[in-house]
Amino acid sequence: MSQAAVTGGELRRIVRINEEIKSVVATAFKINLMAMNAIFLAKRAGQAALGFSVLSNELRRFATDLQQQMEVLRQMTHGSVASVTALVKTERLNRLVERMRSEVSGQARAIIDRYLRNRQTTSFVLHEEAIATQNRRLGQTIADTAQLVELGSVLARSAKIEAAYGGSFSAALMQVSSDFERTIAEIHRSLEQLSRHQD
Amino acid sequence: MKTAQVIYENGDHRWLAIVRDPDRPGYLIDTNEYLVSIGDEAILLDPGGSEIFPSVFSALCAEYDPRRISKIFASHQDPDIISSLSMWMEFNPDIKCYISWLWTGFVPHFGGTDETFIPIPDPGMDIPVGRERLRAVPAHYLHSSGNLNLYDPKARILFSGDIGAALLPPGESGLFVENFDRHIAHAEAFHRRWMGSERAKRDWCARVADMDVDMLCPQHGAIYRGDDVRRFIDWFAQLDVGAVKS
Ligand SMILES: [Fe+2]
Ligand SMILES: [Fe+2]
Repeated sequence: MSQAAVTGGELRRIVRINEEIKSVVATAFKINLMAMNAIFLAKRAGQAALGFSVLSNELRRFATDLQQQMEVLRQMTHGSVASVTALVKTERLNRLVERMRSEVSGQARAIIDRYLRNRQTTSFVLHEEAIATQNRRLGQTIADTAQLVELGSVLARSAKIEAAYGGSFSAALMQVSSDFERTIAEIHRSLEQLSRHQD
Repeated sequence: MKTAQVIYENGDHRWLAIVRDPDRPGYLIDTNEYLVSIGDEAILLDPGGSEIFPSVFSALCAEYDPRRISKIFASHQDPDIISSLSMWMEFNPDIKCYISWLWTGFVPHFGGTDETFIPIPDPGMDIPVGRERLRAVPAHYLHSSGNLNLYDPKARILFSGDIGAALLPPGESGLFVENFDRHIAHAEAFHRRWMGSERAKRDWCARVADMDVDMLCPQHGAIYRGDDVRRFIDWFAQLDVGAVKS
């Protein structure tokens, strides 16, 4: 593959990741609103929904954590774009020097060779390493997020169980916790997409 | 990093302004980039210098899927306008760049191939974006000798490139002009020095005064809206341009 195809592909990959991040952020926003409604509902249900109320608060915190996590990911992709840009520039310069080298001989060529050796072992490799490191960190953050979402699923399931004890509010609470479950499943799917975009 | 802000929205017709980069090194001039999206197509206006590509690209990604950008409009040939072209070409080799015919032999030094450029003739031309047509409006010699603005008749927005530009001091970072008199003080030296032709200036003022413009969006500094558009045209009309302060 040509170098342009590689860096272009890298940029397109970053875009796909960002599209997924946007969808998770939108869903997290939805969960936040749902959790607020759930908190009010639990308040109305009173004593019977105390457990449900605690879980709703936790779900709200979960949504906020998720939003923060997405912001971290977004910052990371910003770093990746910067590294790809630097890589392209270095590559461009290398190409020019390479051409210059092919047009000279003797002393001039020796100078260029020395220069090239220095460059190859410094900037280009450094940029590539930076990109690899950033990708590893991105992968780790996505894995951490997956764990967070797992916690969200557990909370939603527990809310469902609590809903059963909600007395006359049981049906309404059940509806809300099913909504939670469905919405968190959406995030699960987004995360799977995210880890797929990793490589 | 820069941020992308919606400055116009009507259904699926949107204008985004990509502005203010607090991380930008002080030796680089601050620029505004704009994106016009209509339906599922978008055109990027003056995408900026290669140094700020990461910032522009990331800010854009947060608001719009850049895979749908099929066109770039370059008001003129300056590096702060279009030196990021090579990066955009990496991202999407099929992207087309509209620029004055005068510069199609110069800008490829920044990037692009034979297929990349669509030369805009001196009188300007229509540029289709989605179901609408934007209009490249001549603004030659203000400051570049091959210089165009881009008008969106539906949104009544004129992207004016370097015309209307202001070099704002730190702290004055509002997206819109709020106090015209205070703002214009930061635009005066720029216009006197960069705008080269009195005649071109008069032509431009007459042309734009006849157009329906709700917002005038420059490539540097804040956006003029409402009555400030008129105020700017009047101010520019009486300004003495094309002179080096001795
Ligand atoms: Fe310029
Ligand atoms: Fe400029």
